[in-house]
Amino acid sequence: MRAIDPKQRILDAAGFSYNFDREIYVNRKTKKIFSVDFIEDNDEKTLEECIREGPTGKKWRFYFNEKPPNAVRREIEAVLG
Amino acid sequence: MARAERTIEDRLREEYFDLLPAIRRVAQHLEAEIRYHLLPISKKLNKYERLVVTSRVKDCESAVQKLHRGRGREGATFDSDHPERYSLRSLKDLAGVRVMAFPPSRLMEIDSILRKIFHWKPDPIKQDGQMLAFKYHGYCKANRTVRGEYQIVSMLTGLFWEVEHSAMYKPDPRLRGVARHVEMSRCRKDVLHALRAFEEEFEDLLPAR
Repeated sequence: MRAIDPKQRILDAAGFSYNFDREIYVNRKTKKIFSVDFIEDNDEKTLEECIREGPTGKKWRFYFNEKPPNAVRREIEAVLG
Repeated sequence: MARAERTIEDRLREEYFDLLPAIRRVAQHLEAEIRYHLLPISKKLNKYERLVVTSRVKDCESAVQKLHRGRGREGATFDSDHPERYSLRSLKDLAGVRVMAFPPSRLMEIDSILRKIFHWKPDPIKQDGQMLAFKYHGYCKANRTVRGEYQIVSMLTGLFWEVEHSAMYKPDPRLRGVARHVEMSRCRKDVLHALRAFEEEFEDLLPAR
């Protein structure tokens, strides 16, 4: 059986799906978005901590290495609905 | 009638076609110059050795996609509040040459020759701390507005990149995002490790030259 990357397993288990158009992992239920750069640059422990963080209501929470500019946030939020 | 607003992508496409003649000149010039300087190696290759030099002009959609995706461009989205931040001139590989060699023992020799000629900025491609390809970018004599890039890579890795590119990204440049999927990245690494192991084993088995 093929071994899955540990980070991919964590993201799958937490209900994240990959949006290849924006290169982000998204969970619509918890309203969290991880950039691929953030996932690559942080270890599994950090990833799990971010996933465990409490919900922020109706606002999307972006886990990016660099704070995304407002226009980028707006466009991604509009795409995700 | 209201005019449709021009997007950043529209402006970049226009810029691309303004630059296209220069991009072509750079690609042709760079390929010719590299072939010329590698003649001493080409002439003394053993029967089992291969040296292939190819050039390409990055197509318009790939250039636009490159500008807003990939490492350091999180979210793969243009900042529409700052359209002035984007120009295709910032890309380093609008015109590119790839030198592929088999077996890879020739790579250092090729790199050493070309480095002395071009004196360009190194930007090696690495994976897990190991060098996958030598890569350099800079301006050649043919044009001072469009940068060129050359890569020196083992033949199996270079051919894998070509297959990957023609199967996945060429039909739809947006599919570049597929390659950044965490599990997909791991699969690519596994392929590259296997190709490297094949090459190393082949070289180990060669009789001493």
